[in-house]
Amino acid sequence: MENELKIDPILLEEFLKFNKNLIEAPKMVPAMDEINLEMTPFDVAYSEDKMRLLHFNSPVQKQHKIPIIIVYALINRYYILDIHPQKSWIKNLLNQGFDVYLIDWGTPTNIDKFLGFDDYVNGYIDNCVDFVCDEADVEKVTLQGYCTGGTLATVYSALHPNKVKNLIATAPVIDGRKDTTVVGNLAKHMDVDKMVETIGNMPPEFMYYVFSVLKPFEQGLEKYIHFFRNIHDKNYVDNFLRVEKWLNDTPSIPGELFRQWIKDVYQENLLIQDKMYVGRKLVSLKNITMPIFIQVAVGDHLVSPECSMPLYYAVGAEDKTLRIYPTGHVGMIASSFSQKKVLSELGQWLSERSK
Amino acid sequence: MESKAEATKKPDLKETADYFKHLSLFWTDMAYLISSKPSALTSAGPMRKFTMQTKKLANEMIESNEDLIEFNNRLTEYYKQLSDTWNEAQKRFNTKVPEIPNDVEQIESSKRVWIDIFENAFTQLFDSEKFGENFGKLISSELELSKHWNNMFAVLLEAANVPTKNDLNEVYQELHLLRKRVSKLEKSEKKAVVEHNGK
Repeated sequence: MENELKIDPILLEEFLKFNKNLIEAPKMVPAMDEINLEMTPFDVAYSEDKMRLLHFNSPVQKQHKIPIIIVYALINRYYILDIHPQKSWIKNLLNQGFDVYLIDWGTPTNIDKFLGFDDYVNGYIDNCVDFVCDEADVEKVTLQGYCTGGTLATVYSALHPNKVKNLIATAPVIDGRKDTTVVGNLAKHMDVDKMVETIGNMPPEFMYYVFSVLKPFEQGLEKYIHFFRNIHDKNYVDNFLRVEKWLNDTPSIPGELFRQWIKDVYQENLLIQDKMYVGRKLVSLKNITMPIFIQVAVGDHLVSPECSMPLYYAVGAEDKTLRIYPTGHVGMIASSFSQKKVLSELGQWLSERSK
Repeated sequence: MESKAEATKKPDLKETADYFKHLSLFWTDMAYLISSKPSALTSAGPMRKFTMQTKKLANEMIESNEDLIEFNNRLTEYYKQLSDTWNEAQKRFNTKVPEIPNDVEQIESSKRVWIDIFENAFTQLFDSEKFGENFGKLISSELELSKHWNNMFAVLLEAANVPTKNDLNEVYQELHLLRKRVSKLEKSEKKAVVEHNGK
């Protein structure tokens, strides 16, 4: 017959296999809540309102006097830095002999809607730094900030340079005007005053929308096809679910903080121009005179390298290092590449400056 | 360019909306004036508050209709941008892959091409000024609608003597200031203790 449909038998086999995987998936794959992240044990060293300062238990002898405080971002949860025992940023630093603390911002609710930059920087971060200085008997700490946490750590270091021994800024949001990502475009056109007045805190749903417009076909479609094709690969499924759990777990951002963030950093771009005020004090990046290590990723589609790199040129420090990695926003902190390259370079830089 | 006569033929949506708004407000005012005296007489207790506030409810309703027009316009534009981009990307894909693939390898490679073309087209759209501007206004008009909704609820809550959003905001702000003051006091106390011990 002329009109007979010719189907490649391998194609048919692939199709049937995919369907079989779809049926078998619920039996083979745990639900999000059932995933055990096997996180590094920690104690809650200090807490204030919903913020917690976590102190990680080290499996090795401490080799460096100066402790590290990691200022986590305002988006998603801190456990991306400890997402898998073999890809854990925290575990790696502990194994290199560092004493590691981390600020977990918790889940802000309506009662926290008036918390702003001042409360986060001069309140929570400053109290954590004082606490760690007391506990470790040191005068200064190393501050590391990731993503929006990188911005908070930068602002803190500019306002309290006498308490920061080293600053590590990992994909920080600094020059909003140069941000070439979709996030930057949406932020520039947002009526943030109306948003905060009407709904208070920035809701997670809005963040999920923003995530959905970043690589919508690769991340929203192909990724899941790939997942169902590979459900028999235990390692792949395990890694996939850990990151998915993290991607779908983001708290609200306090309204006032969000308002200042969008206006001062993205819309008016005050931070890089040394014109931003936090707690009535002018934030001058020139005050950052301590050694600084800046890490950016070429494939970062959340914070573009162009947005982070100006920090290198704006600070007053003479001892400054900029590292550009061929990876993405998450790949820079939670991947085999980050274990081999990013963390080993950071560890070497930091150990020379943590005496 | 359209002629002057053609332009005048088109109904002005804003003018029509304004006219109906005025008409509704006029009759709401009239109804309120006429009924307020007897309703004041007949209503007692918390319900009196409600009857006094009915005009506010009507106003919010009228204004929310106006904002609904803006919201619908922005939403239509939003979907138009998405569908235009989709069609454009599909055209580009059809030029690159003119024949339907029928084996695994071909399907895999054409899927890759499809994803690349669509990813690029949509990322370009989301990065564009026109998308950002329309999306910003879409969210803004949605927030306006929420505002009216909140205000209408506030009328009902006030009548029932239940705290409104504004009342809660006052409490949150007061608590925020109190937390700040306590934190400041704790810090200065700690500093004083350290200084005292140091001496």
